[in-house]
Amino acid sequence: MKERTIWERIADNLRSRSIWMLHYCTGCGAVELPPSMTSRFDMERFGIMPMATPRQADILLITGYLNTKTLRRVIYTYEQMPDPKYVVGFGSCTINGGIYFDSYATVNRLDYYIPVDVYIAGCMPRPEAILEAFNYLMEKIRKGEANGWKRYKENYEWYKQNQIRSLGEVYVHDEFHE
Amino acid sequence: MTNSMNEAIEALGAFQPTIEVIDEREIKVSVSPDKVISTLELLKSLGYSHLSLLTCIDWIDDNQFELVYILFSWKDGGKFIVSTRIDRNNPRFVTVKEIWPVARFYEREIHEFFGVKFIGNDDMRPLFLELWDDKPPLRKDFDPLEYSKKKFPGREYRKDVLGEAKKIFRGEING
Repeated sequence: MKERTIWERIADNLRSRSIWMLHYCTGCGAVELPPSMTSRFDMERFGIMPMATPRQADILLITGYLNTKTLRRVIYTYEQMPDPKYVVGFGSCTINGGIYFDSYATVNRLDYYIPVDVYIAGCMPRPEAILEAFNYLMEKIRKGEANGWKRYKENYEWYKQNQIRSLGEVYVHDEFHE
Repeated sequence: MTNSMNEAIEALGAFQPTIEVIDEREIKVSVSPDKVISTLELLKSLGYSHLSLLTCIDWIDDNQFELVYILFSWKDGGKFIVSTRIDRNNPRFVTVKEIWPVARFYEREIHEFFGVKFIGNDDMRPLFLELWDDKPPLRKDFDPLEYSKKKFPGREYRKDVLGEAKKIFRGEING
């Protein structure tokens, strides 16, 4: 591995202390976020803050099951986010499909389509588990190990091929917006 | 049963329906396919004017689809479930979008998930599924697990050799 410069290390330290997470809730795991954000667990003391738009966000939360229709929008969203960007997968659904493993619409493993930095096991993970995962992610960012966005760039063809295999095509055709 | 439901059942007598009382305010009426539209029109004129749901059931052993119309009355909260059975091999039925305009979305959904064609409703674009390439997914002979394995590869786990060895050692499983 390449030695990181002092500036990169400083930048990573600063990045780990100001994670703006995209407020885009894909599945049922999103119900654990309000208790993590409000006064009891108070996520903001770690510098984690909700952000409404993908162009200002650092971290994408995939909260729970993800179906093919949502996956298209998630890929759009992920590719809109600026580098460096991190992905956290919530719950067993993102790991192996969870209870929807045999559904015709639910994707079974998330890291096949976009790179995932931290997975949180469980259905549903408690707010403690979420904070634990964010602490772990911050540590990974400080060490320079949370480089899913680099993996996505290096293996872009592989990810694209997987996306097209499962989705047919990634482009969104939507009768309500066209 | 409320008074208006009794009246409706009396008025329906001409269609020779099979009537099944499910609950105090809920009655299931099964009629033959050619009498469905007149049954629905009659019930609508008697106050059951709200189409709560139009859905389909796959009875694969009988080789039939059951179409279910749920009508609701805002006057006394009564509910009529009008059901009919159509052939599964060539599933076609008449649209009710002239009676309830909202029905065209239900019909699109049924066409997408069961493959039933509604004559008179020419808007049969997919409503929920995107780029679907198999048989309609809610038919009983569609195998979701096989489709999922084909489309969405799962995670491969390594075998827990040490854990199994411990179990054999404790005598929980035979080695």
